[in-house]
Amino acid sequence: MALSTTVSQRKQIKRKAPRGFLKRVFKRQKPHLRLEKSGDLLVHLSCLLFVHRLAEESRTNACENKCRIINREHILAAAKVFEN
Amino acid sequence: MADHNPDSDSTPRTLLRRVLDTADPRTPRRPRSARAGAQRRALLETASSRRLSSQTKMTTRRYSHGVRSISGSAYVQASGHLEEQTPRTLLKNILLTAPESSILMPKSVVKPVPAPQEVQPSRRESSVGSLELQLPELEPPTTLAPGLLAPGRRKQRLRLSMFQQGVDQGLPLSQEPQRNDDASSLTSSLNLTFATSLQPQSVQRPGLARRPPARRAVDVGAFLQDLRDTSLAPPNIVLEDTQPFSQPTVGCSRRVYRSLPCMPHTGAKDAELAAGCKTRSSGPGMQTNSPEKPAQFLAGEAEEVDAFALDFLSTSSGVSGEDGVEPLQDGVEEAEKRMEEEGVSVSEMEATGAQGPSRAEEPEGHTQVIEAEESQETAEAKGPGASSGDEDASDRAASPELVSSTPESLQARRHHQFLEPDPPPGAAVLSSEPAEPLLVRRPPKPGTTGPRPQQDPHKAGLSHYVKLFSFYAKMPMERKALEMVEKCLDKYFQHLCDDLEVFAAHAGRKTVNPEDVELLMRRQGLVTDQVSLHVLVERYLPLEYRQLLIPCASSGNSVFPAQ
Repeated sequence: MALSTTVSQRKQIKRKAPRGFLKRVFKRQKPHLRLEKSGDLLVHLSCLLFVHRLAEESRTNACENKCRIINREHILAAAKVFEN
Repeated sequence: MADHNPDSDSTPRTLLRRVLDTADPRTPRRPRSARAGAQRRALLETASSRRLSSQTKMTTRRYSHGVRSISGSAYVQASGHLEEQTPRTLLKNILLTAPESSILMPKSVVKPVPAPQEVQPSRRESSVGSLELQLPELEPPTTLAPGLLAPGRRKQRLRLSMFQQGVDQGLPLSQEPQRNDDASSLTSSLNLTFATSLQPQSVQRPGLARRPPARRAVDVGAFLQDLRDTSLAPPNIVLEDTQPFSQPTVGCSRRVYRSLPCMPHTGAKDAELAAGCKTRSSGPGMQTNSPEKPAQFLAGEAEEVDAFALDFLSTSSGVSGEDGVEPLQDGVEEAEKRMEEEGVSVSEMEATGAQGPSRAEEPEGHTQVIEAEESQETAEAKGPGASSGDEDASDRAASPELVSSTPESLQARRHHQFLEPDPPPGAAVLSSEPAEPLLVRRPPKPGTTGPRPQQDPHKAGLSHYVKLFSFYAKMPMERKALEMVEKCLDKYFQHLCDDLEVFAAHAGRKTVNPEDVELLMRRQGLVTDQVSLHVLVERYLPLEYRQLLIPCASSGNSVFPAQ
């Protein structure tokens, strides 16, 4: 499994999905349900996409406000867009 | 003059010869040499060898730098004749010793000395002849009794005598008068040396002569004032620089100034008290006398202290700050009257100086002064609002006048005074100011390493996505923003689980299938008719995961994962 992938940025983002974490979370939420083998991978994928969209939206909000730093207000606004 | 000897195989000799020839006109040099000799004579301890070397050096220098080097080489060549006291050996000794002193000997002495020294014995005659030619010129110079020669000279004499033996007596004759000249100059120089101790050094090296530093009397008054100004000014600068934000600087500087003046203030207070003048009284007195004695402004350190004291008093009294400047003018006359009554000279100056800088911008300070005046005069309470207000106006009017007259040295105090009165009225502002920088600054790191409940692994897992968020954002983020991301993720997970549960229940299953997740993604709008799940998998997931997710046919008609 690919633990980490060297990206152009300084940080080394771990591409590995926290499968145990996801399973634990799902179990805690819905103990009566089970999750399939590859199901958590797809859940992980959906989370990645969600985070990606959220980041993009927050960055757009910050740029609109001409702020160099992303504030919580920007993230809140982005989350509200996705909550609908 | 037969200068070029066919036997001369060494260029230095020829060069020296040429120099000797060119050195015929001695008269212009003599005065110079005489002067130089007088300068050099300042040194008593010049050894004979030194002298000789210096003489030769003089000659070499006069010739040229190149000649010198060449002469050095010539000396090297002449090293073979060490055993005999030849001019070569003498010159060589001179070069070895290489005295730093650049004692200038009369050219008449120098020239004949090196010239004959370099000349080989075979050529001595020729050189002597040239020297002889020069002799008549040397003779005219005054000749003193040989006995005047210093003991060092005797050595020279010995060496030269040996040389002279090999040469016609013309040489020694020529040299003797030179020596005599030197001796005479020496005697004169002896007298001079006692008088001047610094001269020798400069004489030895006219080029490197160091003149005695011109010392000026120290202006103590100006020095003290500068000390005060610098002591007061720098702290402001330092504090201001340390503050990264413009807003806090003002507030912080104010606070700092407040503390700073306290120090001198306390000290000055004691001094003032010792003087027997109350700071309060001095304040008003200063105002009154300020117009009369502008010169006194410069006197004092205590001025600042007084100003500070006044400021403190005013702060305590809580005088209102900015009243109309117009009433100031009216009150000026009244203030002047009061000032005259006070008749405190020193304190007055201080007060005026202090007030001058503090202008209308520091109405509190003025009010303090006014209050002080009143308190002294009428022994009233410090805090008479109305009267003090009027008087403050008057004082303020006077202060601007004083300000104009105050010298630049008081500007430093000005700053302090500005700061002092500012804090009291700006107390509210100050309180707000620190809040602003806090907002601007990053919040301190929250120490969340203590508890290790279930939350921790949960947060650890979420932190993974938070990092991804920051990575995707490609912009710096705040800590609070990251916390918000965590909350959003948490909510998202809950929603996701609920949706999956619904989907699975809709399908009549109790196990969540990947198809349920795909449906979820379709509902989210991630998976569309154009964009299939496989595409997303291929895009965002690593290879290993893609193999697991996307069925791939391999050899043997086997598909993995098994469908």
